[in-house]
Amino acid sequence: MLTEFGKIFVFILLAGLFVAVGIFTAKILRPHRPTKEKLETYECGEDPIGTPWVKFNVRFYVVALIFLIFDVEVVMLFPWAVTYQKFGAYGYLVGIIFLIVLFVGMLYEWGKGDLEWDRPQPIIPYLHKEEEQNK
Amino acid sequence: MNIANFSQMLSFIKPELAVSVTILVVVVFDLIFNKNKKIIPYIALLGIVVTGYYVIQQYALSGTAFPTSGKYGMVTVDAFASFFKMIVLIATLCIVIFSYYSDEIIKTQGRLGEYYTLIFGMVLGMFVMISASDLILIYLSMELMSLSSYVLAGFTKLRTRNSEAALKYLIYGAISSGLMLFGISLVYGMTGTTNLYQLNAALQGADVNLYTVGFALILIFAGIGYKISAAPFHFWTPDVYEGAPISITAYLSVASKAAGFALLMRFLKTTFVTYVDPHGSWQLFNIFDWQTLLILISVLTMTLGNFAALWQDNLKRMLAYSSIAHAGYMLLGVLVLTNKGVSAVMFYFFVYLIMNLGAFFVVMIIANKIGSENIDDYDGLGYSSPFLGVTFGIFLVSLTGLPPTAGFIGKLNLFVALLDKQMVVVAVIAVINSVVSLYYYIRVLKHMFLTKRDEKISIPVPMPAFLFILVMATTTIFFGIYFTPITSWAQNAAAILHF
Repeated sequence: MLTEFGKIFVFILLAGLFVAVGIFTAKILRPHRPTKEKLETYECGEDPIGTPWVKFNVRFYVVALIFLIFDVEVVMLFPWAVTYQKFGAYGYLVGIIFLIVLFVGMLYEWGKGDLEWDRPQPIIPYLHKEEEQNK
Repeated sequence: MNIANFSQMLSFIKPELAVSVTILVVVVFDLIFNKNKKIIPYIALLGIVVTGYYVIQQYALSGTAFPTSGKYGMVTVDAFASFFKMIVLIATLCIVIFSYYSDEIIKTQGRLGEYYTLIFGMVLGMFVMISASDLILIYLSMELMSLSSYVLAGFTKLRTRNSEAALKYLIYGAISSGLMLFGISLVYGMTGTTNLYQLNAALQGADVNLYTVGFALILIFAGIGYKISAAPFHFWTPDVYEGAPISITAYLSVASKAAGFALLMRFLKTTFVTYVDPHGSWQLFNIFDWQTLLILISVLTMTLGNFAALWQDNLKRMLAYSSIAHAGYMLLGVLVLTNKGVSAVMFYFFVYLIMNLGAFFVVMIIANKIGSENIDDYDGLGYSSPFLGVTFGIFLVSLTGLPPTAGFIGKLNLFVALLDKQMVVVAVIAVINSVVSLYYYIRVLKHMFLTKRDEKISIPVPMPAFLFILVMATTTIFFGIYFTPITSWAQNAAAILHF
């Protein structure tokens, strides 16, 4: 008979089959009347302006990272908050140490000015090209 | 788990705790002394000294801690681990000195705090990797170490090559750790445990498919092989070593390789050995032919490293290929699967640490002045700065493995361990490889001493850097003549904790 992994394999096969059958049936049944507007990238009746590959501010990434860290912190703290009483002062201390480490991280972000949206002097990195290097 | 037990277990990870505290202190001081970053290398030195104290204290300790289930824990502490932690720490000490004199790092003055934070992040990863005895912890520590080193490889950001190195390192690293994780998941699926000690029993007892096990183990080896830059997984090495700042190149070539080898040996011995006979020979149970795989990888690695190095004109690239070849030599000590082989590898690592870091330091001092690592720019340097020429010569001769240097004793130990197991063919291939390597090491000396150049270049060597090179060169010679202390240290520490 099937092993445990065999069941997973059957599951994968069925999943693939399900998608294929669904798309194929839809293709047979649906009406097909394309117009120019329908084939645009964003079909809202608007012509797209410019390219979608615009540069946007790198600080969005920084903010996302900071958010991620403190989001994960909550995930870690929640099980601790439920159980630390069983461990008494020792368990409490472990949580405090965890928070101190995170606090240092927050101080770092603050000190380096990553929490301020308007940075006074943007530092533009300078890149030596290979030609200069080989002169 | 009760509390008394827990605080007693904390004593097993004292060095790791010391490293973690150092990371925090470096970050805090980086913020306090925002204008003057000169103090940070000294904090790093202090951190290394404190960590070293705890590592030495742990030398007598032997056992496992933090069990998830059963008797055996996730962290194993033994003399073997302490030896390799000491190697990593000495390398870190040298790198702090390196970075102090490296122009590339001095130019990034404003980010010195991040630099040392990341270095200690690597140290923490390597420490955990050396003493990990659980597949999940092994994976986590490898990631911690790799992520820090990806950033460090592209740290200076001043050249396109630098960014290229970091990106290549990241992509190769991501693929290999993905493969390793897949291998781990297969092993877990078959045995239901990730603890190495329990895996030993589980793999012996369970009715497992040999092909599946072999596939999973090759995948796990791919992850480790990437860290030690063994042959089919070495492609990142030359580009990363050439592009990264030279202090990081030196660090990657010694410390991360040491951690990788420690992991490989512990993994092999804990997971696959049924018993160790009185001669120190490991008896593996019949599930996967490690010896054949390791012989193939080792021969391939050293041949490829040595022959590719013959054509290199950039010294950093040449040393990168040479470090691949040295990984091949050190695999010789692993593939014999004996305690003697392990102690030979450990001795070789100590020697390799000194000679390789010495060679890189001289390259760095010269590159600081002439701004190039190209071999043609070394013409006549042996006469204009005889001290650097002679010491570089000593390091290169030692890397080749000629007497009276320590490199010779290291290779001799490896070959003796091979001949003890009657592997004459492999030993002969290794000796032929050493002869090949003589060509590219001596070629540098030829450029330094036998080629004349018209303009005189004098290369300034600051006093502490002078002393550093002198110490490295004398120890290279000294341990080539009086090697007993290191040999006995390595032999005492070679017994990996096993049941």
